[in-house]
Amino acid sequence: MHRTTVLASGLVLSSVLSFGAGKIDLKMGDNLSDRTNGWGAIVETINGEFKEANPGVNMVTESYPDQPYQQKIKIYATAKQLPDIFKYWSFSTLLKPLVDGKFVLPLNRADFEKLGYMPGALDANTYNGKLYGIPVSADFWVIYYNKKLFKEAGVTRLPATLEELIGLAPQFKAKGIIPMTTDGKDAWPMAITFDQLAWRISGDATLPRKALERKIKFTDPVFVRAAAELKKLATSGLFQEDLDVSDYGAARNLFGQEKAAMFLMGSWELGLGTDNSFSDDFRANVDAFKFPLVAGGKGKVNDLFAWFGGNYVVSATSKHTDLGVKYLTLYAKRFPQLAWEKQAAFPAQKVEALPNDTPLTKTLLRIAAEAKATSGTGSLDLSTPAFKNDLENACRELCSGLITPEEFTRKVDASAEKAAKQ
Amino acid sequence: MRGPFQNRSVVATLVLPGIAVMVFAMLVPLGFSLYYSFTDWAGFGDVHPVGWENYKAIFTQDPVFWRALWNTLLLMLATVFIQNPVAFALAALLAHVSARFSRILRTIYFIPAVLSLVIVAKLWVSILNPTYGILNKLLALVGLKSLAVSWLSNPHTALAAVIFIIVWQGFGWALLFYYAGLMTVPREIEEAARVDGANWFQTYLLVVIPYLLPVISAVVVIDVISSMKQMELIFLSTGGGPGHLTQFVSVYLYQKAFVAGEYGYGNALSVILVVLSVGLTLIIQRVMRSAPDES
Repeated sequence: MHRTTVLASGLVLSSVLSFGAGKIDLKMGDNLSDRTNGWGAIVETINGEFKEANPGVNMVTESYPDQPYQQKIKIYATAKQLPDIFKYWSFSTLLKPLVDGKFVLPLNRADFEKLGYMPGALDANTYNGKLYGIPVSADFWVIYYNKKLFKEAGVTRLPATLEELIGLAPQFKAKGIIPMTTDGKDAWPMAITFDQLAWRISGDATLPRKALERKIKFTDPVFVRAAAELKKLATSGLFQEDLDVSDYGAARNLFGQEKAAMFLMGSWELGLGTDNSFSDDFRANVDAFKFPLVAGGKGKVNDLFAWFGGNYVVSATSKHTDLGVKYLTLYAKRFPQLAWEKQAAFPAQKVEALPNDTPLTKTLLRIAAEAKATSGTGSLDLSTPAFKNDLENACRELCSGLITPEEFTRKVDASAEKAAKQ
Repeated sequence: MRGPFQNRSVVATLVLPGIAVMVFAMLVPLGFSLYYSFTDWAGFGDVHPVGWENYKAIFTQDPVFWRALWNTLLLMLATVFIQNPVAFALAALLAHVSARFSRILRTIYFIPAVLSLVIVAKLWVSILNPTYGILNKLLALVGLKSLAVSWLSNPHTALAAVIFIIVWQGFGWALLFYYAGLMTVPREIEEAARVDGANWFQTYLLVVIPYLLPVISAVVVIDVISSMKQMELIFLSTGGGPGHLTQFVSVYLYQKAFVAGEYGYGNALSVILVVLSVGLTLIIQRVMRSAPDES
């Protein structure tokens, strides 16, 4: 009896262990921790379709929030253990080091050109004439706001200038509402805002690029003014009090849970209008407006700070590069339609407006359509990872009031000088 | 008849797995670290030797390193001179209360030490949050709203708040060591001291503490080393901010290696950290060893 039981359990165990044997595990990494909502759910749908079309393949996904994910990928690259397919960003601070290290598989551009990408989208992922990743989203910088909280605070008009925006803070605070939130801990939103302000002041989006190429200096008056405006924005009581330690999730939740009236973030947050983790009330009231002008600045309100950031790439060290390319092709075909239907992301490919577009989606579409000029990638991601780190650190110090705008620009300039020599 | 442990090959066979683990888990990575500290490697791609450049830059051009080292020193002092005396005093108290009551209190005091560091960090980040944190709400409730600040992002309070969280989390271990040590102190020597006319303070100061010096030495060494390598709680609470005000060497080397992509520089920082930790441990052990001789 005992021997029979042992034999039976052995058989069960061996059948359990052999279940799935022979299947290929295709490892995938991304920054979409929530797989039931928005973008994450769409990736799961695409994964399901891929598995159905390739029965011998099993998708193994690994997801972390944005910044820890980027660090994880760097660690995986160091350890030569990159996932077969992974989401990354087209920037010279992120994708380029991996391309230089021969970690990313070059793709056949002609295969993807026919899939309706916006002008410039594939170029952002091209290094040395070769395409290395498929862009997934068109990103631009806006301010999300809650119409109901605006009404409660008696704000009847959207702020047109930075001064008007800052001037709203006491009105919201008087009602116990945080005026605005953003991710201050990771500081990249502040760095993007710094570039945005420099553009609003000068009317020239190319200045940060010129400064990185050492044609001009970050210590020039326009950057000092931009830093002063950024410091004013961060220290005038407009943002949540713990801005410096508040990460992406915390900032987003304060806005989604209707504790904050505004959220400074990119167009990838299009899904706020359909996010089930927030109330119906919030989803019905969320909208967006253009980043305000700076008084006396040469920038126009329809100068849109926009770039193609996120992409998907195939690891060159993968044993299944053919499957990886196959997956990327499916992703490129399916993502725009699914993302738009679910109102989860602003795709880098052409999409048509749908009857069920949320008010937020319509606003974002309008903002994009009204753009007269776009910026391209910001200074944060135009140089080396070390420059990016230095700029973020300097932004943290500036926004905490620890350094002056002049000190900020000196630090950034010194880092740009060092990066240029590399 | 000779026992098996007198046979050298038996001893060598038994010791070998441990040595192998130590070599491959510690010495080999340390060797790699030392090698990469003399390069400008970014973590992947080409490796270029740069000689002593990284070390020179750390010591002469990097104010963040000195800030991180200073903060590490402050943490060390806080654990040695605040956490330790409090833990010792409470352990002494626990040694004199009823066994049942002592057991309950020991469990309560030890809870922070067994909690995951992620939970501890998130717990305190929530408690200290200026918007929804309980601390500021309590302060407002008792009429001290003026004291309510953004504890972890205010430049004046951030470092103290972070050190408090670390001391709170590590307190249970110190208490446990001291309690275990106090249980080994023979009753006779305490009684002999009392017969000689010593009060409780003198008994502790002149009899118990010298008796427990090896335990105190061990706890201090552990405190110093854990202060040096303190990373998780800072990374999860402030990430070194605001600015670099709460920066510590371990967090900084991680950021340099894996955020800024300066793997060689990060390795140089880690080598310095190892040298400082070993050096401090040797100094403390020497000081502690010489103390009873002098007395």
